[in-house]
Amino acid sequence: MIAAAALCPCPPLLAPGLTGQEEALPELRAACAAAVARLLAAAPEVIAVVGPDERTGPWPPDGRLDVAAYAPAVVRAAETAGAGGRPSLPLSLGIGALLLDEAGYAGPRALHGVAQTEPPAGCLALGREIAASAARVGLLAMGDGSARRSLSAPGYLDERAAPFDAAVERAVRDGDLAALGALDPELAAALLAAGRPAWQVLAGGMNAAPPETKILYADAPLGVAYLVATLVPRP
Amino acid sequence: MNDDAAARLREQLTRSPGPLRLGGSEFAPQRPLVLAIVNRTPDSFYRPGVTWDAVAAMDMVHVAVADGADILDVGGVPAKPGPEVTVTEEIRRVVPFIERVRAAYPDLVISVDTWRHEPARAMCAAGANLINDTWSAWDPALPEVAAEFGAGLVCSHVGPQRPRTRPHRIAYADVVADILDRVLPLAERAVKAGVDADRIIIDPTHDFGKNTWQSLEITRRLAELTATGWPVLLSASRKDFVGETLGTGVEDRLAGTLATTAVGAWLGARVFRAHDVRETRQALDMVASIRGERPPVRALRGLA
Repeated sequence: MIAAAALCPCPPLLAPGLTGQEEALPELRAACAAAVARLLAAAPEVIAVVGPDERTGPWPPDGRLDVAAYAPAVVRAAETAGAGGRPSLPLSLGIGALLLDEAGYAGPRALHGVAQTEPPAGCLALGREIAASAARVGLLAMGDGSARRSLSAPGYLDERAAPFDAAVERAVRDGDLAALGALDPELAAALLAAGRPAWQVLAGGMNAAPPETKILYADAPLGVAYLVATLVPRP
Repeated sequence: MNDDAAARLREQLTRSPGPLRLGGSEFAPQRPLVLAIVNRTPDSFYRPGVTWDAVAAMDMVHVAVADGADILDVGGVPAKPGPEVTVTEEIRRVVPFIERVRAAYPDLVISVDTWRHEPARAMCAAGANLINDTWSAWDPALPEVAAEFGAGLVCSHVGPQRPRTRPHRIAYADVVADILDRVLPLAERAVKAGVDADRIIIDPTHDFGKNTWQSLEITRRLAELTATGWPVLLSASRKDFVGETLGTGVEDRLAGTLATTAVGAWLGARVFRAHDVRETRQALDMVASIRGERPPVRALRGLA
């Protein structure tokens, strides 16, 4: 059973020190911290992190983000050895692990990569599998909306991006799991919306009944849509 | 002294890099410092007379501080030959100005570019924190003045050149060795005179007692100076070796100055004497970030 779920984006800039002297996007960081705090408040036995990856499969739970892959000097300055000798995770799971660390979570965790190309059916099935793995599972779904939200966006402007992201936000707000499950993988891929597989895992893991939802952040200040939300099944 | 003995002496006179203390400030070895030039002269080589007027000079101080200067370097006598500036006149040009700057900026580190102990004493009494003795201990009483006031001292190298003269056919078997053999004993002498070792800076002194080839050589081999552990001052701003190297007049020497600054910073110089404070600060910040010692102001590219 999913006791609570949180959606968070996974830009590398969430890693400490990566944006330089200025910690960029403090509101986004605060929203992610609040979402994870809500997850922990549900007293889960285990937290499952799902995030887009090259292929679908589990990662070692002690894995961490390899910050040096993005900013070698940050790691040298901190005198840490990248992932500190732990397995290096893909970005999405690495940021998820980081958010759990920053929240002080030391309990059991399970890390699942989901292929960007994983069809919706496979995502939904993985969600059900994760939900069935323990009586109280906290689900942290890592993923971003479109990276084509503006002319200066990493993927340049695509006019379809804003409506796509708005539809995702609406589905999450309404707890409309069916709508999330029906997101078009090809359109999502075309819009560089990397969160699609993780959102569909979430849709598969939650009960059919619409959960209680809260949107904590929904904006695209750097041309990539970031959505932070919590979804908690109603008693 | 044979080469081996000289090398052994140099070895003895090195130190481990530590903080640089100037006035009440302490600067870590990784932090490059900009020493902003403010000339109280009518006839210095770059933009002569631009801060001859006291109000203009104070305005330049405000700009230099806003642009990131860590230290001011105030001078009342040009380095080049010219009309005599008496001790009394030098004091008249510089001391009231130091008092004014000190009143406006109680904590700003003030350096004075002077080579005679009488003006140096009056300037330290007025609030100067560092004696930039560009003429390499021509007046041997300067360390005592620095010690008396708790001020710092720059130990420089001018070869056989006397104050306010130009180099003429000066030759060195090894210019860098000559510099080391001059500035390291000067630093030792200053410590013995009571100057705090953390307030001593060494300066190879580009252009002074050097032709352009020699100034280029000491820039290329600056690591041999920084390896001594003493903080190294790089004073290259718009100097003739830049002009001769690029074939440009003083107004067109900024790029050459900044290139020299970047190389010097990379090789470990810690203090940079500059006319162009903002540009120098930017060049030093860029080098510090390349070295991995200063995070970018804001890094978002590719990280969203």
